[in-house]
Amino acid sequence: MKIRRIIVGLDSVPSNRALLEAAVELAGKAEAELVGLFVENIDLLHFAGLPFAREVGFASATRRVMDVEAMERCLRALAKEAQRMLEATAAPASVRWSFRVARGSAPAELLAVARDADLVVVNIAPPGALPPLAGARVVLAGDAGQLRAALQAQEGVLVLAGADHAHIAETLRTLLSEEEPL
Amino acid sequence: MPEPMPRREWECEAQGALPPNARRESVNAAPVTSSRRLTAAEVSRRCDPRGFDFRTTGELEDLPQVLGQERAMHAIQFGIGMAREGYNLFAMGPEGVGRRTIVRRCLEAQAPRRDTPPDWCYVFNFETPHRPRALRLPAGGAAKFRQDMTRLVDDLRVAVPAAFESEEYRARLREIETEFSERQDQATAAIRERAGGKGIALLRTPAGFGFAPMRGNGVMSPDEFHALPEVEQKQFEEAIAVFQEELERVIHETPRWRREAQRKLRELNRQVTRAAVNGLIEELKAEYESLQQVREYLAQVQEDVIDHAELLRQPKDGEPSTFFGLPLPEAGETFLHRYKVNLLIDHAGAGGAPVVYEDHPTHDNLIGHIEHVNQMGTLVTDFTHIKPGAFHRANGGYLILDALKVLSQPFAWEALKRALRAREIHTESLGQTLSLISTVSLQPEPIPLDVKVVLVGQRMLYYLLHAYDPEFGELFKVGVDFEEDLRRGPQSDLFYARMIATLARNEKLLPLDAAAVARVIDYGSRSAGDTEKLSVMMRDLADLLRESDYWAASAGNKEISAGDVQRSIDTRIERSDRICRRYREQIMRGTLLVSTTGERSGQVNGLSMAQLGEFSFGMPHRITARIRLGAGKVVDIEREVALGGPIHSKGVLILSGFIAGRYAPARPLSLAASLVFEQSYGSVEGDSASSAELYALLSALSDTPLRQSLAVTGSVNQHGDVQAIGGVNEKVEGFFDVCRERGLTGAQGVLVPASNVSHLMLRRDVVEAIEAGTFHVYPVATVDEGIEILTGVPAGERDMSGRFPAGTINFMVERRLSEFAERGQPRADVAAKKAGQGRRRR
Repeated sequence: MKIRRIIVGLDSVPSNRALLEAAVELAGKAEAELVGLFVENIDLLHFAGLPFAREVGFASATRRVMDVEAMERCLRALAKEAQRMLEATAAPASVRWSFRVARGSAPAELLAVARDADLVVVNIAPPGALPPLAGARVVLAGDAGQLRAALQAQEGVLVLAGADHAHIAETLRTLLSEEEPL
Repeated sequence: MPEPMPRREWECEAQGALPPNARRESVNAAPVTSSRRLTAAEVSRRCDPRGFDFRTTGELEDLPQVLGQERAMHAIQFGIGMAREGYNLFAMGPEGVGRRTIVRRCLEAQAPRRDTPPDWCYVFNFETPHRPRALRLPAGGAAKFRQDMTRLVDDLRVAVPAAFESEEYRARLREIETEFSERQDQATAAIRERAGGKGIALLRTPAGFGFAPMRGNGVMSPDEFHALPEVEQKQFEEAIAVFQEELERVIHETPRWRREAQRKLRELNRQVTRAAVNGLIEELKAEYESLQQVREYLAQVQEDVIDHAELLRQPKDGEPSTFFGLPLPEAGETFLHRYKVNLLIDHAGAGGAPVVYEDHPTHDNLIGHIEHVNQMGTLVTDFTHIKPGAFHRANGGYLILDALKVLSQPFAWEALKRALRAREIHTESLGQTLSLISTVSLQPEPIPLDVKVVLVGQRMLYYLLHAYDPEFGELFKVGVDFEEDLRRGPQSDLFYARMIATLARNEKLLPLDAAAVARVIDYGSRSAGDTEKLSVMMRDLADLLRESDYWAASAGNKEISAGDVQRSIDTRIERSDRICRRYREQIMRGTLLVSTTGERSGQVNGLSMAQLGEFSFGMPHRITARIRLGAGKVVDIEREVALGGPIHSKGVLILSGFIAGRYAPARPLSLAASLVFEQSYGSVEGDSASSAELYALLSALSDTPLRQSLAVTGSVNQHGDVQAIGGVNEKVEGFFDVCRERGLTGAQGVLVPASNVSHLMLRRDVVEAIEAGTFHVYPVATVDEGIEILTGVPAGERDMSGRFPAGTINFMVERRLSEFAERGQPRADVAAKKAGQGRRRR
């Protein structure tokens, strides 16, 4: 089993850290390149373009008028933050890393770049919502045994999908804690 | 012996001033023979070493008791034994008598017989944090309790996080979290589903949610939306507005759900912590079962740990918290600080009550203080910063303090009294008491005080405090009055020798041979200024022995000899007699006019004493009197220029009383006289020169010259009795030194009050001169005796007719005063007449 490139889908910022750390550790151990992919969700931009677009705050429950410009600014800021976090995590571990920003549907864009990767780590709810990709095998978070088996089988691109960052990170850590080499 | 030039010039000047009828006494004139002179044995009582049956002090046993301080010892024993309130001691007496050493020795002898007092520590007060609790533990128990608490905290640090790491806890935590998130998800999912039914998607935006019309799997683009018929657009907009309101309602519910989840989480945490903590603390509680205070405290700790279990968990991973780049203490560590024990007083290993001497009795050093530490530019404190004072250390025992030091430290005296009165130690910083600082402060729980305070000070302080501080008498009921000297009885020389032997051994000095001991005893008697007493000024005595040891060791001797003792006495004087020598030099050079030969009326040698540091010396002064007709007033020039002290003035006024009473009882005293200490430029105090002044006055009135080879000391009363004065030895020696430098003629001597004879303990060289008949000391009981010695003329007593015999001093004085009275009478009549006319005119 040889992992040369790992792609991690990055979205909302704070909960990314645990997932990133696990991915960096995996990349370090496997001596693979880590690619952070931030997808600017096209649905959000479409939403913002609507004349009655309102954002209802998570905590405050207040409505805020949204437009495309504001949404783009917001997404740019999130992308920058994601990049900064990737750098802060990968650089001290001496892991080769790069960062990409794509615009479109998150699963589609991820899978579009997945062709030149060995492992794609993606946070998607529900994980089963991923569109089918030829030659790719999807392993759901929480099953480290299956993940290891799939990695050893080396049958094309492997996608690790989960609905929760922490859950995915935990699966990666379980994999890392096993004695067998990657 | 040839006389130095200046003296001769001075003598010419003096002789030139003599009245024409004054008699002169040649330098070689015969000494006064008619009056009694003291023998060598009477002017000094020497200790005879042949009376000792030891060779050196090495053969003598230690003296267990304190010599000459029986009264003080009884007072100390009483004060120590008296356990009632207010029976604190004030040890008074002069410096160097050994008050502190004796008191300390007595207390240290008593201390082991008393119980060791309890230990004290301060702990956090969970109910009122600014009032730290004082815990009392048996001696040695506080240190162990501190260790136990440190171990408990270490155990908690491990046990609590371990409990939170357990699978059980994590499962239950996940359950609570899942319940909360599911509740939230279900609410949004319901909205999402209903919105989806109407072709509307619920989107997660970066900061919340948004609703948008759907097309296929994605969100409708704005262009697609605008392409819709207006009615459809309106429908979407209205439906979205409804869903937005619904979502808002759901979001508003979230905090309640979160609170519920948090409550469940807290309860879970308490359960988990309780299980981990109870075992640890119950074990400690069982150990301290008998100490109710400690048991209560541990119960509070138990509850507090359970309440704050969250803070005891390991700090979260990640960067340490900082404030403007400064590292902040971790919350858990700061929190654990409250379980520390501030060990204030530890009596572990102490065998009995403490005896504490506080050398620097400031307010804070007495009652303790509360320190502050700088935290991010703010001064903060807590119970671990309470520091003990001397009262805490001495609690249950004895505290020795210097009265003067306590009184000279701001607020220390008040703090001392407050603590003794309240029988509690209230530790409070001075800044707080005076409202000088405004920062976080504490009011520690007061500690009960049971201490015996011994103040050591001078008698004057004791009397002043008694007079001016009404509380003093209530708080210091036992006065311990130390003696400066002891009565010299038949056994006292041997006791004194044993005391010297003890002192020498304690100080690790060479032993003294019998002659050296005798010499020290002589010194002791001289220091007491009395042949019938011995000084018990221990510091001075110890210094003499140390210095004698130095000289003996310098000479390579194995024992201290009388010569070594004498050398240390001589070198002491030599080190401090510069002023005395300069003064004598002035006399020798004739700058200060003092005659030691010849005669002159109205002029006499008075004697004064000065004390500079520990060295005192006597010096002759010329006292002169001038008279004329006047209104019965004796003018003291020193007093007129405010150089004379009140006692000196009193002495001079007594002279007027004596003269008027003896010579002019039935007629006005028409005399104007002036008296002065010649060449005296400083203040004069004391009445020891009043007899000399009277002699000068009588000489001037009788026009009879006084022998300048004699000097006079002694005060006089209105009946003409000569009274005792102080410093008689120094005064005699002062005049002797001047005479010796000029050459002893055999006519020179000093008139001393007869009542001072027992105080004479003169220097060896003076005694030798007296033995050789080259110097004399005359004891004088009355002015008549004195004037006869000074003039060689009988004083004269009134005969049956009430008249003095012709040719006597008293006769001449009375005659002169009668003449003045007669001459003064017409003037007085004229003055009275004028005064009467004046009144009539009015």
